[in-house]
Amino acid sequence: MAEDVYKPGNLLTSLKRHAAAIATGLRYLLSTKRMTVRYPEFLIDLGEGYRGMIRWRRERCISCGLCAQICPAAAMKMYKLPGEKKMFPGINYQRCIFCGFCVDVCPAFALEHTPVHDLSYEELDEMIYIPERFDTEWVSPALKEGARPVKVVFDEEVGLRHEPK
Amino acid sequence: MTSQGSSEPRASPYFWYRLMGRDEEGYDVYELFIGPQHPASGHMRIIVRLDGDIIVDAEPDIGYVHRTMEKLAEGREYIKNIPLFERATIIDAANITWGYVRAVEQLLGLEAPPRAEYLRTLLAEINRIASHLYGFGIAGIMLNHSTMFMWAFGDREVWVQLAEDLTGARLTHSYIIPGGVRRNLPQDFREKALKAIRYMEKRLQDYERIFVKNPVIIARYVDVGVIKADEAKRLGIVGPNLRAAGVRYDARIAEKYGAYPELEFEIPVREEGDAMARLLVRIEEIRQSMSIIKQILDKIPDGPIFHEKYYRMLPPKLKEFVESTGRLKLPGAFIRLKPEPGEAVARVEMGHGEVFYHIVSDGSIKPYRVRVITPAFRNVVLYRYLTRGARFMDLPAIYGSIDYFPPEGDR
Ligand code: SF4
Ligand code: SF4
Repeated sequence: MAEDVYKPGNLLTSLKRHAAAIATGLRYLLSTKRMTVRYPEFLIDLGEGYRGMIRWRRERCISCGLCAQICPAAAMKMYKLPGEKKMFPGINYQRCIFCGFCVDVCPAFALEHTPVHDLSYEELDEMIYIPERFDTEWVSPALKEGARPVKVVFDEEVGLRHEPK
Repeated sequence: MTSQGSSEPRASPYFWYRLMGRDEEGYDVYELFIGPQHPASGHMRIIVRLDGDIIVDAEPDIGYVHRTMEKLAEGREYIKNIPLFERATIIDAANITWGYVRAVEQLLGLEAPPRAEYLRTLLAEINRIASHLYGFGIAGIMLNHSTMFMWAFGDREVWVQLAEDLTGARLTHSYIIPGGVRRNLPQDFREKALKAIRYMEKRLQDYERIFVKNPVIIARYVDVGVIKADEAKRLGIVGPNLRAAGVRYDARIAEKYGAYPELEFEIPVREEGDAMARLLVRIEEIRQSMSIIKQILDKIPDGPIFHEKYYRMLPPKLKEFVESTGRLKLPGAFIRLKPEPGEAVARVEMGHGEVFYHIVSDGSIKPYRVRVITPAFRNVVLYRYLTRGARFMDLPAIYGSIDYFPPEGDR
């Protein structure tokens, strides 16, 4: 392909190529198809498999500590709760890299990824979830504010399309 | 420099040159520091010495994103180094971790099942396309072609989305682990991938019209930054930069790893060795990668995705989960992999070129030493050799055409 870029062109080929470049650009300028998603009015629904914020379920946890041991970023730690003999995991989202090793190693299905990924914090300390706080349902703040969920569809014309769910 | 037989020092015009603001040899050389806060590259500096508009010398000044990765790796268990090395080349995570995992597998005496090898190859090729598009976009913006930048980055999103469907993460896949891969192929993946390929094929034609054959780009890329085969070999250049200089070398062929021996693909080579040739080689590699992905989707064998030795350790309940969801569960023993004492080397072809790993194990749960030589580090020398004698205007063109990725070079 594109062999002729090495051939010396004349004024005519040059003009043709300029015209082709501009025409291609114009075609896309005038087209209404866009790949962009207007977050936070719209929110991509990332679906089941996405490795987002981690949900811990206390009632399932058997306190084996494997999640804390495998964590490559030392984000997951075991905490001792007052009045409890067992230790439970807590997560530090300042450190977590969402590798999902903890979820994969948990033998009791106590850890699960959720598709929620767009949280932000005002204070660093809020990012540390000791076990008492860790057992929560994650909700996307955009969704809470009324963002409309869209799903990603592969498309031969635009690449990615976002359809309302 | 003058070489004269007499020991008598030559009467030097130095004094007069100094008065005129020139250096010893009479050149009006001045130094220009580009970076490290550079709008296009980030994290590196080029010290350019210019004589008027002509580059006398350009010195890449790297190390701004050095994170002591090799040292960090000595303090972590084997599996924990996967997310670490991923961060050298975040845009090509599958390939850079594959090299590491291959070396670890040699130490452990493991081989991944065939289906896992196919899935690895699949993600590696998706990453290669994404990596080339990333480099393509950066090369575009360096020539002030912001449309090319937007398009390449937008189209890269298609491949990032495919990778996300497969692995659950956009870039930091941590997908390839010793003994296999972490997820099975999703049900509707084939359809999606084929659509992405058809889309990309069309887009490559658009790229050709708006960028590759654009007379402005031709003027800036043809015969700019030329390196020939001998010189490229002498300097140890790797990847598309080497192949654009006429050397047919690709670690995928040389090493015969993954599913590559069972797939048919070509290694694009060009003779010209200029910036345009490097660009064309990358575009052709995108085409080849798409053909590889199609073949993988047709040929991928059934079977396990994780080595029996570790899969066996899972309790029945977890095995059931793996079977039904296609998402792997890891046995606790996986945290502390303990290879025999010994050494292993492995190389893998990344989007940027060949990455090389050398792991020394002392039989403990952490590697004694991990040496990694990344393709960007090998290619960084090109800044010096391609720019000499070029016009200053050519520097961004050459810069973009090398596809240098600073975090990868610095590690
Ligand atoms: S996702 Fe990875 S980094 Fe985050 S807590 Fe789990 S193991 Fe640690
Ligand atoms: S791995 Fe699972 S069961 Fe074990 S401590 Fe962590 S959350 Fe609890």
